[in-house]
Amino acid sequence: MRKFRSNWSQGDRERYQERSDSYRERAGTSYLSRERWTHQEVVTSPLPKPVATSSLMASSVDFKTYVDQACRAAEEFVNIYYETMDKRRRALTRLYLDKATLIWNGNVVSGLDALNNFFDALPSSEFQVNMLDCQPVHEQATQSQTTVLVVTSGTVKFDGNKQHYFNQNFLLTAQSTPNNTVWKIASDCFRFQDWAST
Amino acid sequence: MRARARACVRACMLSRMRLCAFARFMHLCLPSALILDSQELSLVESEVKEEKALGQNVGLRSFPSLFCETLGPGQSNNKMCSTLRKCGTYRTEGRHDHGRTKGGSPFQDNFDKRNPRYEHGGHEFLPSERQENDGSVEMGDVHKDRQLRHTPYNIERSRKLVKWHSEDQIYTTTWRNRKLPERKMMEDTRDGKTRAWFKVTIPYGGKYDKAWLMNSIQSHCSVPFTPLDFHYFQNRAHFFVQGAGTASALKDVNYTICDDQNRKICIFVNQSTAPYSVKNKLKPSQMQLLKLTMDKRYDVSKQALDLQSLRFDPDLTGHDIDIILNRRNCMAATLKVIESNFPELLSLNLCNNKLYQLDGLSDITEKAPKVKILNLSRNELKSVWELGKVKGLKLEELWLEGNPLCSTFSDESAYVSAIQNCFPKLLRLDGRELAPAMNVDTDSSELMKPCKESCNGSETLKHTVLQFLQQYYSIYDSGDRRGLLGAYHEEACFSMTIPFNPEDSAPKSLSQYFEDSRNIKTLKDPYLREELLKHTKRDIVDFLSTLPKTQHDLSSILVDMWYQTKWMLCFSVNGVFKEVEGQSQGSVLAFTRTFIVTPGSSSSLCIVNDELFVRDASPQETQSTFSIPVSTPSSSSELSLSQERQEMVQAFSAQSGMKLEWSQKCLQDNEWNYTRAGQIFTVLQTKGKIPAEAFKQIP
Repeated sequence: MRKFRSNWSQGDRERYQERSDSYRERAGTSYLSRERWTHQEVVTSPLPKPVATSSLMASSVDFKTYVDQACRAAEEFVNIYYETMDKRRRALTRLYLDKATLIWNGNVVSGLDALNNFFDALPSSEFQVNMLDCQPVHEQATQSQTTVLVVTSGTVKFDGNKQHYFNQNFLLTAQSTPNNTVWKIASDCFRFQDWAST
Repeated sequence: MRARARACVRACMLSRMRLCAFARFMHLCLPSALILDSQELSLVESEVKEEKALGQNVGLRSFPSLFCETLGPGQSNNKMCSTLRKCGTYRTEGRHDHGRTKGGSPFQDNFDKRNPRYEHGGHEFLPSERQENDGSVEMGDVHKDRQLRHTPYNIERSRKLVKWHSEDQIYTTTWRNRKLPERKMMEDTRDGKTRAWFKVTIPYGGKYDKAWLMNSIQSHCSVPFTPLDFHYFQNRAHFFVQGAGTASALKDVNYTICDDQNRKICIFVNQSTAPYSVKNKLKPSQMQLLKLTMDKRYDVSKQALDLQSLRFDPDLTGHDIDIILNRRNCMAATLKVIESNFPELLSLNLCNNKLYQLDGLSDITEKAPKVKILNLSRNELKSVWELGKVKGLKLEELWLEGNPLCSTFSDESAYVSAIQNCFPKLLRLDGRELAPAMNVDTDSSELMKPCKESCNGSETLKHTVLQFLQQYYSIYDSGDRRGLLGAYHEEACFSMTIPFNPEDSAPKSLSQYFEDSRNIKTLKDPYLREELLKHTKRDIVDFLSTLPKTQHDLSSILVDMWYQTKWMLCFSVNGVFKEVEGQSQGSVLAFTRTFIVTPGSSSSLCIVNDELFVRDASPQETQSTFSIPVSTPSSSSELSLSQERQEMVQAFSAQSGMKLEWSQKCLQDNEWNYTRAGQIFTVLQTKGKIPAEAFKQIP
């Protein structure tokens, strides 16, 4: 009994991955949630290949898959992003692309170095996300680079001070490898709802 | 430290049968115990005295009553006896918890948990057996001595001298083979049942602000952890964590954090027994009694909790509970009760509780952050540094008289200023009103970058976008939104959300948007998720036509252009609009709309993604917009105002009491002639020609 239990942490990960394909997508997320503290990435199962078809039914199926995938990636990502921002600020820039840009209340921060400096200088935060919406971005805009638009809203307290309501938008792009997909922020726009009065 | 320990042990091994030699060594070690919690300091001091009195018989010290008699001269053992007797309760169930003794924390060795044959810590009073094995008696006590110390090398030493005890018989064995620490760690993980504890030490930790230090460590550490029993000793900071994985992750943090002088911070992680507050966690029955006692001492009208001399409260002593607030476990339990029962506590009186340190109290900043009045008089606080541990509280009144620290200052003003350094907002100290200190209100928003106006790209881009928005909203507000078909791509996407407040339901003003709000945080049904995302342009425009008629205020919009490539442009529009029909007619709502557009035909923009977020407008937003009776965007005209003119407007507004826009209009009409504008204003006002809305609301 004890042996079984002690192997739990090792064993169940394998067991999850051994499950049938129908669970693979869920397996992807459970693997992700356990791994997240070590990998600092948002990883989902491989993307479905876009099927070129003229039938409306088929294309709507594809679209639904895109929407599903976008929703899953967005949810997972948002959880990781805000948790990292609150508790492990140093690791936050790992979620950004090298050339990512952040517009923070109108201030432009561009490139990983600047982002690092910016997040270091930003006081400790306490985020609470109340609203999340996402859309898959049309491939015409992204030239077939899978992108998701994520919109969030909620409250934030910096250094325990006054609570601000904020709106934040991300453009997440997928970087696919044969085994999994890594999502990173291409661009980020953050604004307090009461920016005018601060 | 390790080398020394090993040397000691090796020395012991050589003369391993010479237990007295070992005991002598112990004796030598005692006075030089380095790393010691101050809470134990007083105990150690008394022990050392007793020990010296007892001479070689180190062992007998810990065994009460029976041995007191055999000693002959009762001596200081009586003191030990009485207190030991007082503590009384032994818990044999559960996880080998001990009754509290004056001897401090009976450390629970991890060995105990894994091997039930190990002694529970030397508190069983089975005199007959002990008398038989003289050797074991001494060894038994050596074990206990080790327990009293928090010194790492003593812990290591203990591993060499493991005692095996059963319930009835006590016998000791001296290990010949050294058990390596690594092996012990592996045993922990294999067991899985109970996780090892580790003590993390940060030398010079006292220099750093506790919150900054812990945050830095948390962010550098790859594994999240909860620090327990954070305390300082001399200049070192210590805390405990559980789990070998966490410990190794923390070890990796060593030398990675830089302080502001660019020095790397060292972090040492050592195995340890469970921290004091965990080992001596109060039983639920005790917690219950404590809660009842505290309830009695709570004054609801003033939200004040009086914990003066809590230890001698008749309720507690009657039930044989010793709440020594200086001890971590008692303080933690007290704070826990406060957190659950009196979170809005305003005043806390800890007078006369023999507090030597405030490490335990530092958690109060999280548990009862609203405390404004704190009474720490007649305790044993030796320096203002202790107060720094509760710096997080925004105290208005503080009592410190009767503490040793008060006499360390050369004069009154030095004392007051030192305290004010710690608590800048303090109003009263020891009952005396203080001159308010310079309000160094470092609003952290200064540290953050100031909020700027729209972030725009190049001028042409800005122009294109503004033009696009004007076209879009003119159709949107026109009443027939079908014209928007031309603006969208064939396969564009649109979704809409309203803010989700976990406490209240959607406000009435947003009721019409509520059903179609697609908040995937709360909406888990994949079918609905897809339904609410409008896909083709026809669907989108059909949906938009169902939304109430609006009037957007384009003069006050703010555009953030945040992503741009050759093929797309992504920007967010923040602004307000008014609903001009329907149930909530006249209500002003704020929106944030994110557009992703691609260059369309004939230099127009084609929307591929559109996300709308609608919320109630704040009072400032409602006021500042829609109040300017101008048709053209006034923002441009405002921007063109020179510094001098802006100042004139401000001054005029302050003098006349009119809002800024109206003041500006007045000045503009009078060709920026201040005096003339003032005269005209007075004339108009006496005639009653100026509408009431021009004036600022008097708060």
